[in-house]
Amino acid sequence: MKGTQLGEFEELVLLIVGVLYPEAYGLSIREEIINQTKRKVAIGAVHSALSRLEEKGFLKSELADATHERGGRRKRLFTITAEGKRALEKNHELRNTLFNQIPDVALKLARVVSF
Amino acid sequence: MSPSKSSYHPPKLAVRLLHWFCKDRLLEEIEGDLYEYYQIEREENSKWKANLHYWFHMFNFLRPFALKKIGQHSNIIIMYRSYFKFAWRGMMRHKMQTGFHLLGLILAFTVCGFIYLHLKFETSYDSSLENADDIYRIAWMNENPQTRTPHPMAQAMVNDFPEVIDAVSLSPIYGPGLTKTSVLLTHRQSNVEHEVNNGFFADSTFFDVFSFKTIQGDAKKALRTSWAIVLSESTAKRFFGDKNPVGERLSFNGMDDMLEVAAVVEDAPKASHFHFNFIISYVSLKSLDFNDPWMSWDDFGHFNYIKLRAGSNANDLEAKIPNWAPKYLNWPEDYIDGLRAGEVKFELQPIQDIHLHSNIRWELEPNGSFSYLVIYGVSALFILLISIINFVNLNTARAAQRLKEVGVKKTLGAYRSQIFTQFTLEALLTTFLALALSIFVMNWLETPFNHLVNGSIAIENLWQADVIAFMLIITLFTALVSALYPAIYLNSFEAGSILRGLKLTKLGGSNLRNGLLGVQLVATVLLISGSLIIKSQIQYLKNKDLGFDRDNLMVLEIVGQTMSQKIKVLKNSLASLPGISETSVVSNVPGGQFNQHPLYMEANPQLTVDASEMFVDKDIASALNLEMVDGRMLDDAFAADSTGTAFVLNETAVRELNVQDPVGKQLFWVNNEELVKGTVVGVVKDFHYNSLHVPIRPIIMMMDENASNYILARVNPNNIPATMEQMEAKFKEIVPELEFKYQFLDSQIDELYQEEARTLKLTVLLSGISIFLACGGLLGIVSIVVRQRVREISIRKVLGASAKNILWLMNYKYLIISAIALLLAVPISVYYMKSWLGNFTYQVAINPLVYAATSIGIVLLIAATISLISVKTIKSNPAENLRSE
Repeated sequence: MKGTQLGEFEELVLLIVGVLYPEAYGLSIREEIINQTKRKVAIGAVHSALSRLEEKGFLKSELADATHERGGRRKRLFTITAEGKRALEKNHELRNTLFNQIPDVALKLARVVSF
Repeated sequence: MSPSKSSYHPPKLAVRLLHWFCKDRLLEEIEGDLYEYYQIEREENSKWKANLHYWFHMFNFLRPFALKKIGQHSNIIIMYRSYFKFAWRGMMRHKMQTGFHLLGLILAFTVCGFIYLHLKFETSYDSSLENADDIYRIAWMNENPQTRTPHPMAQAMVNDFPEVIDAVSLSPIYGPGLTKTSVLLTHRQSNVEHEVNNGFFADSTFFDVFSFKTIQGDAKKALRTSWAIVLSESTAKRFFGDKNPVGERLSFNGMDDMLEVAAVVEDAPKASHFHFNFIISYVSLKSLDFNDPWMSWDDFGHFNYIKLRAGSNANDLEAKIPNWAPKYLNWPEDYIDGLRAGEVKFELQPIQDIHLHSNIRWELEPNGSFSYLVIYGVSALFILLISIINFVNLNTARAAQRLKEVGVKKTLGAYRSQIFTQFTLEALLTTFLALALSIFVMNWLETPFNHLVNGSIAIENLWQADVIAFMLIITLFTALVSALYPAIYLNSFEAGSILRGLKLTKLGGSNLRNGLLGVQLVATVLLISGSLIIKSQIQYLKNKDLGFDRDNLMVLEIVGQTMSQKIKVLKNSLASLPGISETSVVSNVPGGQFNQHPLYMEANPQLTVDASEMFVDKDIASALNLEMVDGRMLDDAFAADSTGTAFVLNETAVRELNVQDPVGKQLFWVNNEELVKGTVVGVVKDFHYNSLHVPIRPIIMMMDENASNYILARVNPNNIPATMEQMEAKFKEIVPELEFKYQFLDSQIDELYQEEARTLKLTVLLSGISIFLACGGLLGIVSIVVRQRVREISIRKVLGASAKNILWLMNYKYLIISAIALLLAVPISVYYMKSWLGNFTYQVAINPLVYAATSIGIVLLIAATISLISVKTIKSNPAENLRSE
């Protein structure tokens, strides 16, 4: 069984796929990542993450119709699976519980220190 | 972006590359994404920038997830992968057999690699010199050929022959009795003192002929300067470490600061026929203004080398010498006639041939021997042959077991070529695996091997084009030959007939196999009998009565002619030690080199004989245990003896001088210009003062107190260490300026037979390997044959055959093969071993027992091997064997 952990970049891609529904495909995902996070990402990196997520069962995909701007090639549209949704929720929950466990003092101190 | 607008085309090469490496499943979406991306980029950026970005992102897809899995969709690759799988499983199924295959091939490749490297080294002597092809040494070929020719000859040839561009005359520094001597060099400032050997006198043209690189100073200028010394790099290091020694002064044998270091040059490479530690120019000697006959045309006492213009023919030049040399040679007419008639001649020896093909008197260093290299090469090829045959035989024998595999494959549509490829590939896999492993083994065994054969193989030389080519060729050859038979033979059957059940008896190619087995046995017999004969010859040389007693004789080296008085004292005090029975002071020791001059009887001046000379004292006969056949030994009680006008000859000298009752007769000894007249006082029985490679030649003994190089001392073997200590104490007390250097005469004499000893070790090793491989191969084949004949054996047993009958049945065919092999091998071996023994003056007779022992040994070994394998089957219950099918 492949590991079902979500990597940081994988989680990001998974979230963006959700955001872009139903128009999530390689290039649009990359653009969205760049716009939202200001991170420079190579197309190959996005595809690599997508293929890993699909292998883990968090995404499913189907080929759409061919369009002119793609030189007659079809794009692969990705959607989140139930398992992907569960993984996102689990990550989200875990993060929230952990965040809530941080004593207020620590956060206050952090704020003080950071200023 | 409107659809009507024509779209931009991404760089074609990048697209093609993407097609090439990208998985088909992902290609469309990836290419589409990149295409879309490219359209956007072109809108926003310049074309080249867009292209650059496209390339960047394209390369970014070089990730595992996007790459084609090799072979995923390629029939050919899938097929090849299955071949490997088959080969691997086949190897694993017969672990013993595979192990033996590999071991045999590894041994063969390792042996071949080592021997190839060794031969390469031995044949590479002096080839690293620039223009090595055009450098020749002038040798003097008479009835006792020698390397040395007159000093002026070198430059005279440059002057008189346009094709001779450069020439150099040189000579090692000789001590009395013409033994190579060490020189005591001292650097007084730092008080560093070493006895240095391999010192040379040379013409200023030395570096014109020999292209050794200068490291410090100006070597050519140094040799034009008197009292300048050129050091080799290693010698310079010994005295001065890493400092630049140019300009420092060295004392020569106690002569203070006589020499100035003028240059340092690289050491001669290992593969050189001579090595120098320092060179002093003849200019220094000539500046002494002495009219030494040694420097004249009269003395054949120098090593002369000439360099010809590239492309000149040395034979033509050699042919011109007999008509040219007489104008310089001050010789009587009949000598000159002999030269013109070619009875004696000056020969031009290519410098690269000296190490292996010259081996005449006064070689600067012991030569190699070509005949031994041939033995090594042939032995290695035999081992290779035996190993290849093993591989082929076992492969063909096993082929029978794979018949069904071939049948099934053919039924499923395999082409003949595919079956062929499969077998070839399997053989290649095994041989290349063996090659790879043998390289490890060679690395591992480098030092032990060098140690064993006293060789100088450097494993890094393996990585040279010719060596690699050689190893690859033998590997490929082995693989192809062994694959050929099964690939072609098994292929020749119809698939249908195979599956219907082909008769086993038709299979197996046993004729081929038995033939090869015979060849293998011939090679083994040749190796074994050869090594036995080499062994007996060496034993013979070692045990041969040399005519003197060499046991427990210590040779003490003493340098310096000026100390005769001290040496006498030393000798006497050594003789008084309880552990020493005999002592004698001599100029030369048996087994070393001897100077030679002509002599003739007063009564018969026409008949001159070249005789070696040895300066001795009165105790020489008792020290060496020499036997007098006539007259008496020299004794300084007689005035004539101590002034050097009394001579002792050996029997050969007397015979060659053709004189009856020589004692009391007058004899002339021609020492260059000087003519010494004296009386023969005794005749000594012939003894082997030279190595047994040459016959005994005339020798003359006389006394000369100033010609002492060694003290011989016979020590009591019971307490050598204590005696040694006492000797060293005496030595230090009487001649503190000398180094206490000694050797035992028998070990010194053994050194003369180094090549023989090395050959013996190697051939014994190789014949051991060959026996092992041949028996192992036989074992493999017979075990397969026995397995095929299980039912036959069982039926015979059921019908009442005894174990003995069946054993004989299994054995007799192989015994016939070995008998045939022996019949073939013995005459071949006798012929070649006779011709090898022909290299020796003193040969052991070939003992027929050698061949009897070899034959019996081989036959017994074969019978034992076969019986060992069959006995299990024979003893097993026939009912079980028959029930199984």
